[in-house]
Amino acid sequence: MENFSEVVGIFFSLDNFLAIAVGVVIGVVVGSIPGLTATMAVALALPFTFSMQPVAAILLLVGIYKGGMYGGSITAILIRTPGSPASACTLLDGYPMAQQGHAKKALKAALYSSVIADFISNIALIFFAAYLAKIALNFGAPEFFWLICFSLTIIISLASGSMIKGLMAALLGILLSMVGLDEVFGSQRLTFGNYNLMDSISFIPLLIGLFAIPEIIEFYRKKAIPHIKAKANGAGLAFSELKRCMKSIVRGSLIGVIIGAIPGTGATAAAFISYSDARRRSPNRANFGKGEVEGVAAAEAGNNGVAGATLIPLLSLGIPGDVITAIILGAFMVHGLTPGPLMFQENLSLIYALFLGIMCSSVILLVVGNVAIKYFSLIADIPKSILFPIVLMFCVYGAYAVNNATFDVGLMLAFGVLGYIFNRTAIPAAPFLIGFILGPMFEDNLRRSLLIGSNDLSIFVRGPITWVFIVLTVGSIGLAIYRFAASRRGTRNSTDESHQT
Amino acid sequence: MNKLLSATCLAACGSALALGLTVSSASANEWPTDDIRLVVPYAPGGTTDVLSRRVADLLQQELDANVVVENRPGAGSTVGTGRLARGGRGVDHTILMASPGHTIGAAIYPDLGYDPVEDFVFLQNMIDIPNVMVVPADSPYESVIEFVEAAKEENMTFSHSGVGSSIHMSGELFKTLTETNMTAVPFAGSGAALPALLGGDVDVSFENMPTVLSHIRSGDLRALAVTSAERSEYLPDVPTLSEVGEYNLDQFVTTAWFGLVAHSSFPEEAQSVMQDALAKVMEREEFLDFADQLGAEPGQVSGEQFKQFIADEVERWEGVAQQAGISQ
Repeated sequence: MENFSEVVGIFFSLDNFLAIAVGVVIGVVVGSIPGLTATMAVALALPFTFSMQPVAAILLLVGIYKGGMYGGSITAILIRTPGSPASACTLLDGYPMAQQGHAKKALKAALYSSVIADFISNIALIFFAAYLAKIALNFGAPEFFWLICFSLTIIISLASGSMIKGLMAALLGILLSMVGLDEVFGSQRLTFGNYNLMDSISFIPLLIGLFAIPEIIEFYRKKAIPHIKAKANGAGLAFSELKRCMKSIVRGSLIGVIIGAIPGTGATAAAFISYSDARRRSPNRANFGKGEVEGVAAAEAGNNGVAGATLIPLLSLGIPGDVITAIILGAFMVHGLTPGPLMFQENLSLIYALFLGIMCSSVILLVVGNVAIKYFSLIADIPKSILFPIVLMFCVYGAYAVNNATFDVGLMLAFGVLGYIFNRTAIPAAPFLIGFILGPMFEDNLRRSLLIGSNDLSIFVRGPITWVFIVLTVGSIGLAIYRFAASRRGTRNSTDESHQT
Repeated sequence: MNKLLSATCLAACGSALALGLTVSSASANEWPTDDIRLVVPYAPGGTTDVLSRRVADLLQQELDANVVVENRPGAGSTVGTGRLARGGRGVDHTILMASPGHTIGAAIYPDLGYDPVEDFVFLQNMIDIPNVMVVPADSPYESVIEFVEAAKEENMTFSHSGVGSSIHMSGELFKTLTETNMTAVPFAGSGAALPALLGGDVDVSFENMPTVLSHIRSGDLRALAVTSAERSEYLPDVPTLSEVGEYNLDQFVTTAWFGLVAHSSFPEEAQSVMQDALAKVMEREEFLDFADQLGAEPGQVSGEQFKQFIADEVERWEGVAQQAGISQ
């Protein structure tokens, strides 16, 4: 690189390192508090960046973003309250692990897979940005539609306990996701005239209610079983365990990178897709959902893989893929920089200085994360009779904080009751969430495709990307049916045998 | 244990502070006697939010009082605006950053529960951002006339960032005035809408200037016209729609405007203090630089003129919404 020294000159300043470190710390702390999202923290930090140097300003915001992406997993694992939507998937295995006394192991697995995924995502950003941006541009509504179809087939693999219950939960999720304004006509659907529902059901109160509240209800229903303190923190993560998860982490990171590069899908979906992919392939399939360390690793790899990659469409096309990157775009503009193709010509040294900083953020995340685990894992030692009232307070506060609306607190409690019913009837919550997240994307892209193609159905098979996803979708359903049939044959055979004996 | 509890409490207090529940710093008798709340009726991160935080920062310096930004998002800004309209405690120290959602919302939601004109006092129009009529680089249309003629023959699609956005309504207004065949294709925000335009999935869009400016300069999009009354200094070679002179387009002047409003009971003393402070803010170099980055022009109207502008806008969008069949 000819202007290497210039890049180094821009990057190596105390301000930049400080900006990343402060950003990551804020991100981890804010991300771990339910209801306070990285999005809010980035928005609140934005005015402070106005007076900073451009590189330091952007790195501060990127640091918060990355820290927040990881921070959400801490409370998800420890108190079954996802600090951010993207960590909802992490608690499926993380919380059972914490209950079994492996809190520290789960936290470490989440951290290491986050850092590895973050690193892979950064590499993708630096070396393949132009290429991935081109793919992203070829992703129109029909391509999106098939990607979502494929992702919906995940429900099948997440509902392996009972297919009927899984599908019921998924359909309920899709039904509830329809509440709000119709995207095409703007008319109200299922809002019952309540303006609080016009922007659809808010996701964070739903998450907090669905996961945290049932635990609290259960605790008081059983009238306080003495807290079994089986060395609550437990051991850390052994290298052999990390190695065992490595395949899932790398695959999850790549899933995150691709999802992140396409604007508009998001980290939550990436976490679930990565998780279900790992579950499908893992030899420990049966243990997923019951406290499998590979499940935690896959989920966190999926959502952190998104972090670096969402900067791809932002930097190379000037397109923000989510709200956070939209705010970062604002920060660029405040400093007189316009992300997009021209920035790579006009401000190349600045971009490379940014890249260096972003690479550094992975390392800083590792350090900050380790310190955070040391202190946060103490939460696992607090007796539940003291912990749960505090958690409840945070739940109420978190649900309120998102939109500053009391309505959301009520919504959170209502979903708490729903989550409790789910628990008692063994209806899995994961398919419900997938339905809620992907339902609107499915509908919107279906309708958008029909609008773009003037109701001509051939738009759904218009190019190689659609063909690939059609094959994957059909294959995924076929595989599920095959496995379902095989398992039924298996049970029938075993019952036959038991009859014979 | 205790340490952890106090750490938790500390974190809770800290975040409460960050969310704007700051302790009031009452001073002398003159207005402001309390912190000023600047309500943003949208979620953090959008143009309205970024602008409001910048303005709050500068206003704070001019007024020597805390200006706290508070996001009250929902239903295309009508939730936050509705709350202000209902009045209550503290409205004499509350201002709101209004934008096209204020007038378009009134046009498309029938049971708003407030009057977008009479329930407010209008302080200052801060900035105006023109929309740009853009087509993909490989589009066959080189001018607005060519586009309209083609759109009379075959159906065209236009992308927008959500029902009731200024981008959507500009498209509907264009369709109504030119009597062409156009289908609106909704996306969740401009970020999601842009790839469809760049990739050629839709034929045209009436996007906000800052969203598309870099793509126009890099040649990925072609600007056919700007929607403001005068040509934009950022795109001096691109004509305004009213310059086209045909197909009723002389009536097509619209910008995404952003301005501060307050409850109708806002004290007169406060109005004049606020308007003076805002006038000073708008002269500040930081503000002009910021507007420049957004591709925006500083706002022109305040007080009664601003109110008249809003009244005209409400009337216009009601007509467009009715013709487009999007009033509910």
